[in-house]
Amino acid sequence: MFKELDPILHSQLRLAVVSLLISVKEAEFTFLKEKTNATAGNISVQINKLKDAGYVEVTKQFKDNYPQTLCKITQKGVLAFEEYVNALRSYMPDT
Amino acid sequence: MNMTETDNFSEKESLKLIDEMIGKAKESYVTKGIASIVWGSLITFCGLANWVEVHYHKNFGDVWLLTLIALIPQIYFSIKEKKRKSFISHNEITINYVWIAFTFSMFITSFYFSHFRLGNVSPLIMMLFAIPTFIIGGMTRFRPMVFGGVFCFAASVTSMFTTVEIDLLLMATCGMVAWLIPGLIKWGKYKKGKSANV
Repeated sequence: MFKELDPILHSQLRLAVVSLLISVKEAEFTFLKEKTNATAGNISVQINKLKDAGYVEVTKQFKDNYPQTLCKITQKGVLAFEEYVNALRSYMPDT
Repeated sequence: MNMTETDNFSEKESLKLIDEMIGKAKESYVTKGIASIVWGSLITFCGLANWVEVHYHKNFGDVWLLTLIALIPQIYFSIKEKKRKSFISHNEITINYVWIAFTFSMFITSFYFSHFRLGNVSPLIMMLFAIPTFIIGGMTRFRPMVFGGVFCFAASVTSMFTTVEIDLLLMATCGMVAWLIPGLIKWGKYKKGKSANV
């Protein structure tokens, strides 16, 4: 039986962001933008959606007098990602 | 890849994207190997200088104190590297803790042996060299470091049966095999990767 895919994660850019964040402890906004090749506006909107869902924690601070946005996946985000991957597997034919 | 907010992509594409992004994050963790080169050169130099002292009956003072001075560029480079990087990897945190544990263990062992005037400390020191090298090499899947760790373990066992002079040469070789050569390989890879991205 097919499991339902989390609509928050089943979006290319949001999934890309979460996949990057699951691999690191924390990352700057610029890192996510560079790796996904997305525009600043688009990625900012998607990060906010992930933040609203409680999947990502966003911290704004200053680094060498420049504003810095740090993103980190939350425990809820990790669980959602794991469930999403498990759900994806149910769609794959057995090998 | 031009990503948009769309859910019109297949499950297969989702898995491919996850795989690609995890791969990109892993590739981003590139170290220049400078710390490894500095530390490896220093251990090699100190080992050889100490060997010259023993073999030719010279006195250069305690050359091993240079390892303390070497901490200054190590700290400087790590702060500089931290400022440059736009992410912190999980491996990085573990690696830092391993090196901190190594530094404390080295100083405690050296102090204990010199304060209580115990016998030959070389086998223990080389065993301590082996531990972080082997662990970090394995964690980062960097074979030259794994080999360096194995070499240090072997040198540690060998030094139990050899003279102090030979031990000093073994220690110098450990510095070269465990850190200097892997550091140079990392530096080469970093330079190659940088020129490929230009």
